[in-house]
Amino acid sequence: MDHRPQAWGRPRDDVYGAYDASYLHDSGPKTATQSPVVTGTSVIGIKFKDGVVIAADNLASYGSLARFNNVKRLRTFLNSSVIGFGGDVSDMQYLDRLLSELAIDETYETDDTPEDDEETTKKTHLNAANLHKYLQKLLYQRRSKFDPLWNQILVAGTDGEGKPFLASVDLRGTAFSSASLATGFGSALAQPIMRRYAETDEQAAKLTREEAVAVVKECMKVLFYRDARSLDRYSIAVVTKAGVELAEEEQLEKQSWAFAERIRGYGTQNV
Amino acid sequence: MTSIGTGYDLANSIFSPDGRNFQVEYAMKAVENGGTSIGIRCKEGVVLAVEKVITSKLLKHGANKRIATVDRHLGVVYSGMVPDGRHFVERARDEARDWRDAFKTPISTADLAKRMGGYMQAYTLYQSVRPFGITAIVGGYDSELESPVDGEVGSGPSCGAGGKVAGKKHGGPFLYMIEPSGLYWGYYGAATGKGRQAAKAELEKLDLSGDENGLTLEQAVKEAARIIHVAHDDNKDKEFELEMSWISGHDGPTKGLHQEVPKALREEAERLAKKILEGEEDEEEEKDKMEE
Amino acid sequence: MFRNNYDNDSVTFSPQGRIFQVEYAGEAVKQGSVVVGIASKTHAVLVAIKRNAEELSSYQKKLFPIDEHVGIAIAGLTSDARVLSNFMKQQCLGHRLTYGRNMPVRSLVDMIGSKAQINTQHYGKRPYGVGLLVAGVDQQGGPRLFEFQPSGMTEEMVAFAIGARSQMARTYLEKNVDSFKACGKEELIKHGLRALKESLVQDRELTIDNTSVAIVGVKKDKDGTAKVEPFKVYDGQDVMDWIDSVSDDKENTAPAPATVEESMDVDNDA
Repeated sequence: MDHRPQAWGRPRDDVYGAYDASYLHDSGPKTATQSPVVTGTSVIGIKFKDGVVIAADNLASYGSLARFNNVKRLRTFLNSSVIGFGGDVSDMQYLDRLLSELAIDETYETDDTPEDDEETTKKTHLNAANLHKYLQKLLYQRRSKFDPLWNQILVAGTDGEGKPFLASVDLRGTAFSSASLATGFGSALAQPIMRRYAETDEQAAKLTREEAVAVVKECMKVLFYRDARSLDRYSIAVVTKAGVELAEEEQLEKQSWAFAERIRGYGTQNV
Repeated sequence: MTSIGTGYDLANSIFSPDGRNFQVEYAMKAVENGGTSIGIRCKEGVVLAVEKVITSKLLKHGANKRIATVDRHLGVVYSGMVPDGRHFVERARDEARDWRDAFKTPISTADLAKRMGGYMQAYTLYQSVRPFGITAIVGGYDSELESPVDGEVGSGPSCGAGGKVAGKKHGGPFLYMIEPSGLYWGYYGAATGKGRQAAKAELEKLDLSGDENGLTLEQAVKEAARIIHVAHDDNKDKEFELEMSWISGHDGPTKGLHQEVPKALREEAERLAKKILEGEEDEEEEKDKMEE
Repeated sequence: MFRNNYDNDSVTFSPQGRIFQVEYAGEAVKQGSVVVGIASKTHAVLVAIKRNAEELSSYQKKLFPIDEHVGIAIAGLTSDARVLSNFMKQQCLGHRLTYGRNMPVRSLVDMIGSKAQINTQHYGKRPYGVGLLVAGVDQQGGPRLFEFQPSGMTEEMVAFAIGARSQMARTYLEKNVDSFKACGKEELIKHGLRALKESLVQDRELTIDNTSVAIVGVKKDKDGTAKVEPFKVYDGQDVMDWIDSVSDDKENTAPAPATVEESMDVDNDA
């Protein structure tokens, strides 16, 4: 009998024939993330006169299961930018760690300002445009390694000239910016609504903060009505030159499900 | 140093017959020539201060910071060879970052001091390197708050044991000083550089016990400014700039962060320091007169 | 062979805590011809004296652009400067690619500082034999000037001079240090050239062949936003007017003696 440790716990060759170890060896190409696992749905954002409003709900789904209902998908960076994550939540957590390390690096830069001048310090920090460029390079690099970070991201804040900045980047490194942006389901459901108010930067520059917040809240409601992977609790942030105001426990108000009756297949109705 | 010139002091990591490592001792000489640095630990936090001797009129005023942030809650100041100090700071930042990567939580002041002590010590072991020409003072405030799960993504479980002991105090202010040999201790008040003797004498007079009557953070800032001025006293002909930083708990003025002391407070502290020093001088003069 | 036992390498402290090899490297900087840098509220200028090895040879460059917003002046071993300059160029490009902005000048200078410090702590390495003046503008909004030494020491200055006989230039700068902040770019260049003249050897003059000028700054756009005025080096005919404007005649002092050609005291030191 074979007494070598390698043979312990294995079916005896003399009884069952040679052990087939082929299944242990991975044949075929090395694979990385092929699909996201725990996911967040839409992120939406719109520019206004002096800043940007951005929102995302607090849900992380596991397939169609509403698995975590208290996950914050808007992250602030140095009280000057907000990054909204759609897509894989573990990749979001990885990116969040990366960004907080980047934020710590930025605190070293304050060693460089003569006297404690907050204005100057802020100017030397990475702004939203810089962050967006960084994320774009990072995500493109990862997709080129065939190991993408499975996210769709909105970056909101101000650019180098203090003007409102809103841009998106996805798992392929595709990046663009617009007066209003939405990821995931929102690109189909929320985007047309936001475009009614701000199709161009010029139109966005006429919106007040209150108007922009109202549009975003309206969009979040529409998304909750029609997106089965969404939640009625959400986070919303207003980013201006002065900083970030973030509310993470917002509740959708004044919902009306009257329209639902007219939808075929909804609820218990028989058609 | 009777053994100078006998050859045992020509290379690092060599013991002399009486068991000394001269190169480390010489490195400490480099420290003793540098501007004075001090650290004060009090009940509410830590203050770091340094005397920057102005070597040229052409230096930009207020630029060229010497106190460095290592992590949000950690600061470092050093006396001796400034480029070596920069190297030390960069390594400390790497250590803090690696710790975060590995453990998903900020490094404690004690752990950072331990790692940097080890790093400095390694530079005394080989002939191929020289020891650091600095003594570094590391100050930090370890958070007493429950640290958020994985960098604040989600809020984590709201119930369960979590490994905490009820009533046990976590975190608080810490201060360490690391020498070229790699030796480090925790301190209530630490001083190094040219004026360390005078500074130590002043530090010993303070109540740094951390109990109710102990120094407050703001008092500590003022004492730090005064002590740097006192320590500079022997070196009067040269002008200097005072640089100070502080770290409080999350409920204090810096909210757990290592920050430069605000300009207004620093100027106030310096004004008081100068006043006290002038007062003492007047007293001494009066004493002299009385004796006459 | 050696002056003492403690100056053979850069990993040995003297009993006083000095590292002679690093100090000697500092001497190499003084072998190079003088360069001057000054920063005002809107501009930073670098001016330099170039040397030629012989009458018919070209003049050794002293001022180098690094990126749109930064440039350097060198004194000491030119080949060492090239290593640092290439490194700085790469860092600036990398930063621009990743973040889409100008690299902060302080970070850039810190990086060459760290690079140089390593060479002072390891056996078998030698310190860089070059000093730099780094002029640039960044997000802080204003021009900045740094000095880099072979020891790895980097300091931000209002104005500075390094290289042969640079003490005279520094004395001039110290006398005028308070006036620089308010200077426009033309005034700044004049101050730089005057400082340069202080350091010239007797009978030597500034000529269009031996003088280099470089400028970087910020300018306001029509809509009031601050834009970088890119780092630009001026040589030859382009510096004539500036040299004339500080000529001894113009400055109402004794006329200078006729131009004397450069001597032969040049090898690979710039």
